Amino acid sequence: MGERGTSHSVTVEVNGEKVSRIVAARQLLVHFLRDTLGLTGTHIGCDTGNCGACSVIVDGKLVKSCMILAPQADGATIETVESLAQDGALSPLQESFHEHHGLQCGYCTPGMLMSATYLLRQNPEPTDEEIRRGIRGNVCRCTGYVNIVEAIREASRGQATERRSVQATAGEEV
Amino acid sequence: MLLEQVEYVRPESVGDALEILASDEGAAPLAGGQSLVNVLKNRVASVDVLVDISRLAELSSIARTADGGLSIGACVTYDALDRSPEVRASHWMLGEVAAHIEDQQIRNKGTIGGNCCLSDPTNNLPPILVALGAVMELRSRTGERSVPAVDFFKGYFATALEPGELLVSVTVPPIPEHSGAGYASLAVGADAKALVRAAARVTLDGSGATIADSCLVLARVAHVPVRDAEAEARLNGADATEEAVRAACAGVADGMQPIADVHGSSEYRRQMAKVTARRAVVQAIAAARGSRNGSTAGGK
Repeated sequence: MGERGTSHSVTVEVNGEKVSRIVAARQLLVHFLRDTLGLTGTHIGCDTGNCGACSVIVDGKLVKSCMILAPQADGATIETVESLAQDGALSPLQESFHEHHGLQCGYCTPGMLMSATYLLRQNPEPTDEEIRRGIRGNVCRCTGYVNIVEAIREASRGQATERRSVQATAGEEV
Repeated sequence: MLLEQVEYVRPESVGDALEILASDEGAAPLAGGQSLVNVLKNRVASVDVLVDISRLAELSSIARTADGGLSIGACVTYDALDRSPEVRASHWMLGEVAAHIEDQQIRNKGTIGGNCCLSDPTNNLPPILVALGAVMELRSRTGERSVPAVDFFKGYFATALEPGELLVSVTVPPIPEHSGAGYASLAVGADAKALVRAAARVTLDGSGATIADSCLVLARVAHVPVRDAEAEARLNGADATEEAVRAACAGVADGMQPIADVHGSSEYRRQMAKVTARRAVVQAIAAARGSRNGSTAGGK
C-alpha cells in the first residue's frame, strides 16, 4: 500500500522533464505546476472546475488541474501550455490563434490551447460543432468564441494540408 | 484554493481500501474527484483521509456478463463508457448519456461510481441506470450485497451505502429482445444540468405495433429518480405510436410535487416532465425497432 499521510513524494514528467517533489496531500495539481514548479502558463480561473483555464493533459487525457490533487498525478506524464512552442517558435495552433485573433485578454488561452490540442489529436478534422463541444469546458468572456472556433478550424485545415502533402510525398517516394 | 489539511493514501487492492474505510470514520473514497474536490474546497464535508481508488484495476474495467449484460467497474470514467465498444454494442444509450455529461475534461476524470454515490439529483446517470434495471454491487470488509439502482438512491446526496461500504461495480442486465432505451432532458444549455430528465425502457410485442412493457423514470421532479407507475400502466398495451405515447404521457407527474428552484417552478417542471417523458418513450420505441432515429433529440 502507498504511504498514508499529509505529505507525499510526487514524481512526474512535465513537458519532457522528470521532476520529484514532496508535496502536501491537499495541494492541487494547478498549484503544484504554478507554485512548486514555476510553470505559470497554466492559469487559475474559477477554481471550481467550471472555467477550464487550468486545463492540462495528464497521461494523454485532458483534465482540469484545479480538480486534481497533486499526489493523484504521481507517476504521470503532464503536458502544459509551455510544451506547445518549440525553441521559441509558436505551434501551428498557437499561430492560428494569433492569426485569427482567437484571444483578447488571454486569460482563458492556455486552457483553450490545451483543449484544442487534445481535440485535434482525437479528431484531426473536427466540424464546427465538434470544435464547440471540444471547448465546452473552457469559458472565454471576451471573444464570443467565434474567432477561437475559427482559429481551431484553420489550424486543423493546416494540419490536414500538411498530412496530405506528407502522404503525397511518401507516395511519390514509393 | 487551499483545502483543509487531509491525509491521502493509495491502496493497492480493494481489500486494503475497505480496511481503511472500515477502520476510519473520516475516510472517504476518492475516484475521479470531479465533485469531491469541490466538496473539499467548499468545506461542506470534512474528510480526514482520502482513499484514492482510481487506479485499482478491478474497479476500472468493463466486462460482458454471462447473460449478455455489462459489469461496469465503479471507477470507469464517462469517457470510457462513451468510447466502449461493448457498451455501445449492447447499451448504446448508456454510452450516449455518458457522452453528454458536461465537458471533455470532466468526462476524462468523472466516474460512474462517483456519479451514483454522490446522488446529486442533477446527475445524468442515475435515471438511465434505474430505467435499465441496473444493480449496484456493494462491498465492505465483512461482505457483499447487491442493491437495485431504484433502491440505491435514497435522497438528496444520500444513498443506500452504509459506513465502510464501497460501490465496486454496476451490473446492467441485457436489454431484452424487441426492447429499447430512450433518454431526454430539458437542459440549461448543451450538455448542461437539466430541469427535468426522463429515461425510458420499452418492450414491444412481437409485431412491433404495441407496447408490451415499459419503465418510465423521471429525474429532477424529486430528489431521486422515480418511476411513474401510473404512466407505465397507461403505456403498457398502448399502440407504439407517437400519438398514443403522447396520450399516455399527458398525465405524467400529475400525482407528484416536483421541486421548485431558480430554474423552474414546480408546475413548469410537471409540464416539462410530460414532454421529456414522451420524447424518451418515443426514442425507446425507435431503439426497440432497431433504429437510433431521434436518439439525440432533446439534448442530454
